[in-house]
Formats: sequence, C-alpha cells, structure tokens
Amino acid sequence: MTELQAERTPETLSAPRIETRSFRSRYLDVLIALVAFAVLAALPLFFGSKALLDFVIRCSAFGLFATSLNLLVGYTGMISFGHGMFFGLGAYGFGLLMQRTGVPIPVAFVATLLITAVVAAIIGAICVRLKEIYFAFVTLAFQMLIHSTILTWTSLTGGDQGLRGGIPRPAFLGIDLANHVHLYITSCALLVLGLLLMRQIAQSPFGYTLRMIRDNARRASFIGIDVWRAKLTVFVLAALFASTGGMVMAMFVSGAYPEFAYWTISGEGIFINMLGGVTTFLGPMVGTVLLLNLNDTVTRFTEYHGIVLGVVILFFAIGLRKGLMDYVLEWYTQRRDGSGERG
Amino acid sequence: MKRTRQPGISRRATLALMGAGAVTIAAPWVARAQAKTIKIGMPTILSGRVAQLGTSSRNAVLLEVEKVNAVGGLAGRQIEMVIRDSKGQPQEAARVARELVNTDGCEMLFDGEASSGSFAVHEVARDLGVLCIHTCSEASSLTADPKQHIPNAFRCVRQGIHDSIVGGSYAAAIAKAKGLKKWATCSPDYAYGRDTTGEFALYLKRFAPDVEIISESWPKLFQPDYTEVVTKILQAKPQGLYTCLWGGDLTSYIDQANIYALFTQMEVFAVNMADYTALTVVKNLPKGIHSGNRYIKTFPKTPENAAWGDAYRTKYNEYPTNWSWQNATAVMLLAEAVKKANSTDGKKVAEALRGLTIKCPFGADGTVTMRAEDNTLVGYAIGWGTTIPQEPYVPEVKAGDWKTIFELEAEWKKSKGYT
Repeated sequence: MTELQAERTPETLSAPRIETRSFRSRYLDVLIALVAFAVLAALPLFFGSKALLDFVIRCSAFGLFATSLNLLVGYTGMISFGHGMFFGLGAYGFGLLMQRTGVPIPVAFVATLLITAVVAAIIGAICVRLKEIYFAFVTLAFQMLIHSTILTWTSLTGGDQGLRGGIPRPAFLGIDLANHVHLYITSCALLVLGLLLMRQIAQSPFGYTLRMIRDNARRASFIGIDVWRAKLTVFVLAALFASTGGMVMAMFVSGAYPEFAYWTISGEGIFINMLGGVTTFLGPMVGTVLLLNLNDTVTRFTEYHGIVLGVVILFFAIGLRKGLMDYVLEWYTQRRDGSGERG
Repeated sequence: MKRTRQPGISRRATLALMGAGAVTIAAPWVARAQAKTIKIGMPTILSGRVAQLGTSSRNAVLLEVEKVNAVGGLAGRQIEMVIRDSKGQPQEAARVARELVNTDGCEMLFDGEASSGSFAVHEVARDLGVLCIHTCSEASSLTADPKQHIPNAFRCVRQGIHDSIVGGSYAAAIAKAKGLKKWATCSPDYAYGRDTTGEFALYLKRFAPDVEIISESWPKLFQPDYTEVVTKILQAKPQGLYTCLWGGDLTSYIDQANIYALFTQMEVFAVNMADYTALTVVKNLPKGIHSGNRYIKTFPKTPENAAWGDAYRTKYNEYPTNWSWQNATAVMLLAEAVKKANSTDGKKVAEALRGLTIKCPFGADGTVTMRAEDNTLVGYAIGWGTTIPQEPYVPEVKAGDWKTIFELEAEWKKSKGYT
C-alpha cells in the first residue's frame, strides 16, 4: 500500500483490478506472516536471553496497539487521543475474568473481545460523528472517564493499586502461559495474526473506503458510502486489536494497572506512529521496536531519558518531518525511479 | 563512465547505520560473565513528580552499601547496586525488574516503587523466585493480604495501618483533653488517602467515641489549588482536622491555608508533616501542627539516629526522607541475614530474614524485626508530636505503643478477612 494507491480516484480503482491484486497480495501477506512467525518462534532456540523474549512480548503488546491506532489515524484520518482506553479495557477485562471467574484462557480472551466490542460500539457511536479536534477530545474524555472509573471502583478493580495477586494462567490445549517461552510464542502468534488481519482490513475494499473517507469524507458520502457506519466499524475493529495488546501486557506483568488506561498510553501510541510513520502498514510496528528499544537503552544509562526522547521527537518532527518508514519508503522510491531513468 | 551519486543516504552509510542499529539492539543481551561482586537490582522512581522518592532511597542505599562493602561485603562479595528508573509506571517497573534479574544478573531486588509499581515488582518476584525487599510501598495489603504472600518477598517499610492506630490513639487523647468533638478530614483522592483516613477515623472514634466527622474533602492528587477545600473546612467550623496529604501537596495546602489563618482556628493533625521534605519547604511553618514521624533525626532520640541523619546530610547536602531510613534499614537487615545464613543464596537469606531482629538506629527500642508471620517490618520508631518553625522542627515526639499496635492490627486483619 502506498499513498499513490490511496490517492487514486475511486473511478480508476475499478473493482476487478483490486480483486486480482488483493488476491495475489493476500497470499503474499500470509506467506510473510508465516515466515515472520517462524523466525520469531525460532528465536528462543538461538538466543537464551530472557530479556530478548521480554522485549518481543512487549513489542507484541505495543505493536498491536500502535498498528490498530494507525487504522484510525493513518487510514481513516481519525486522530484518537483515547485509544489507550481499549488497551486498559483489554488488560482489566482479561485480568478480572481470569481472577474472578476462573474460566479457561480462550474463553476469557473471547469474552474480553466481546466486552471491548460493546464498549467501543457505544463510545464510537457517540464519537465518530465528530470531526478532527472534537473527535480527538471526546475520545480523550472517554478515556479519562474509564480511567477514573478504574480508580474509583476499588472493590472491583483494586483502585490505583491495580489488580493484585497475579493473574492465574491455567494451562489449556497444552499451552501453559505461566511458562515464559509459551507466553512468548503465544504473544508472537497473537501479534502476527493481529497484523495479518489488520493488513487484510487495510487492503480490502473496506480499507480503500476508509482511505477515501480520510481524503474526502463528503465525496465518499456522495457516492453512497455510509461514512458514519464505516468509521464506527473501523473504530470497533481497532479497539479489538488494542484490547488484544492490553491482554498481552496483562499476561506479561501478571496484573492490570490504571496506568494502562491513562492518556499517556494513548500518547505513546501516537508517538510510536509519528516515529515509525503512518503511510506504510508496518510503520507503527517499526516505531514500536524503535521506541521500546530506545526507552530500554536510554533508561539503562540515565534517568534523564526525557531529554533524550524529546530530542528524538524533535529530530523526527522537525528534522525528517515524517516517520522512519515514510522516509525509507520515499528514499527507496527515489532510488528505484532514479535507477529506472538511468537504465 | 562517471558514476552518478544517488541523492540521499549511500549504500555504505545504510549498511553502517544498520550495523550500528544491530549492535545497539544486541548489546544488552550479550551475556555477561558472573563476577565475584553481588549485584542487587533496584527499580525505583527517579523522574517525574515523586523523583525524590527514588533519589533519597538511592542515597540511603548507597550510604549503607558503602559501609557493608568496607567491612567485606555480603559473605565476602562486594555489593554492586544497579538502580534504574521506572518512571512510576507499573509496566516499566515490571520490565526493569525482569531486566535487572535476567540481563544484568542481579541476584536480589530492592523494590523502590510506590503503590501499583510495587505490586508489579511483587509479581516479578513471584514469577522469578528472586529475593525481593520492598522499601517504599506503604500499602498495608502488600503484606497483610495472604493472597499476596510469597516466601521470597519482604517489606521493610512503615505501614498505613500502624500509622493510623498510633495517630488515632494520639489524636483521641488530645481530643479528650481539649474537648475536640467536631472533626473534618482532608486527604488525597486515591487508595492511600481514602484507606488511611478511614482507618484513622476508625481508631479515633474507638479511643474517643463521642467524636464526630462533620466534613470530608478529597482533593485530587497533585492538585495545585486548595482554596475551595480550605474554605469548605472553615465553613464547617470543625475543632480538629486530619489530613494525610504528603510532599508537595501538603506544603501547597499549608501555604494556602495559612492565608486563611486556618491553623489558628482548629487543631491540625497531618500525619505526613514531620518529614524534612515537607518541614523545610513550607514558607511559614505554623507552630503546633500535630504530625506522625516520617523521618526526623530527633526521634528516636538516640545518638545513633542523630549521627545517621547528620552523616546523610553531610554526604548529600540534603535531609534524609522517610524513604531513606526504610532503604537504609533494608540494607542493614540484608547484611545481617547474609551473615546469619553465611551465604548469599536467595532462599537461605530469605530463611534467615524471616523473624530476624537487628540493632537499628530507627528502631523504637533500638531494634527492628522482620516479622515472620507476614514478612513485614515491625518495631520501628513510630510516634506523634507537634511542630515548631525551626530546627529541630518536632522537638518532642510521643512514641506509639507497639503492644497496642499489634493487638489492633490483628483485629484489623481479621475484619479484612486476612486471617
């Protein structure tokens, strides 16, 4: 996917061409996903480092979250400042179900997704009518509402001390998530599957509808697209992936804390998107790896990490004026076109 | 043919950049050789609004570690502290704690986290089975709740419930003597504020049954303006006021309440006042505020405590905090436990720590104990006194009675379903 495709008028994107194109690329996507999963799953065989596995688990959580945010920001042009609420909701929903009901993990997983879908549909129905800054602020308001609810509903959520006592992780189908390697493989599987699904959404006709809404919502509406419904659908879908990210994080820390639903998590998501770039599908994933690695490296050496991260933001915002993957893509296109002219 | 130079970064530069990136990413995971030194990891809060928690904890730990190392270290191994910032985020605290153990090879953890972060580190200790001493979290449930209990985690911190029992009985005695029947409370709106205030009110009423709480205010944590809270309290006209505001919140509150002359109109009980971080920052410290001891070098009134406070101040050119004495005590306890176990093996040290009593400048009777039943610190100096605007700030502190604390704490645990 490139901006070039996105900028084409709907008339030129005739249906059969998309079909054949997406049919072929879908197989390619599945293949890439399988290879990526195989590589990730093989890592523990070659590296004994638990920290590396921890790093990938965290990348899974934040990668799912940031990429789902990109479905809203990059593809639909909806800048949500409250996306973190679904991250928190996933963590709390999953944690509470496991602690209180003792259901098997897959049941808790699906139930959490259902809860998230319902909450996202309600919040989305109110928010997606609004445009730009109003949308951003109302999503932020809902995030703060959920955060405050978590803080004050102490009997259920444990208030500001979070869900304590650990999240029980009984084994299912031979998978024991209390085992570090099992948790790692499961996180990788969720990440790869999540990315693959999001990629399919982005490349489907629905994905192109979203791009059209981003570029000119009024035009989309004139050619018969129900803009509100499309926006609501992507809002709910993105929430589901963010919630999955939250569940991975809850399993990693064996708890859920109000900070997961705080606005700073949404801010981190936006920052990751800025860092990685929003015009390529993998931009947010690259941003996640960059930010987490930067964070881990810098905090290892200094407590003045704020300054370092600030400088990096400035470099991307003022220096490159785009995310890393946007820059790489542009550079690659330039190079390819350049060699084409020469040849 | 002349080679055309492509715009942008050259292939060589790209390769170099990728190489540098790979090295950066791989560096932390390169296994490091086990040294003779023993590494102790410490995730804590070194940035943001409560950075003083981390910095004063770090100072105290390093001060004590220096002493232990000077006499041979832990069972012949020199201690190396690896102290890292968690930014006060629980997921970062968990990550840093895991990294310290898994990558940096730390064999033990000091958990310098507050509130939710400490529970996150507790889960890491549960998962990795590494010896962990909590040194900052005052949340009682961390050790009182049997669901939290793990054999390898200890808490070397004062506790909200202990403070409330001592504060309640002290306030009740004054309420009876001065006839203070109408009380107001003003505490930060989060778990610590609500729990501590509730427990204080419970014990105040227990010791002085005719006391009545006529007004409650719950300002937000880190709220900058307290005008409406102050006026609300003044309108209610209570005779006594309890607050568990702390740090910058407490000092802003006092500065703003001073404008309304609040402190001349009622007896004020601020459990967190007697900490140098608050005492030295307030512009006009009113005389006669009742406060619990956080850390003050005049209580316990022993030469050891005074010497420790002075040594800290000389070395760091600032006053120690409540977090400082707790962290210092953790190092002292650990050193004694290793001596007793004659080993640095986490399990053996944990066994030695359980029920261990050591000589300590911060003990009520010159000793503190790591209580075996719930792995938590008891016997530390705890008391209440009134402030004066200059050093020594709280000249006389009335010590709390540990026998009463134990009795009421056991009752409280039962009421919470912990025993």
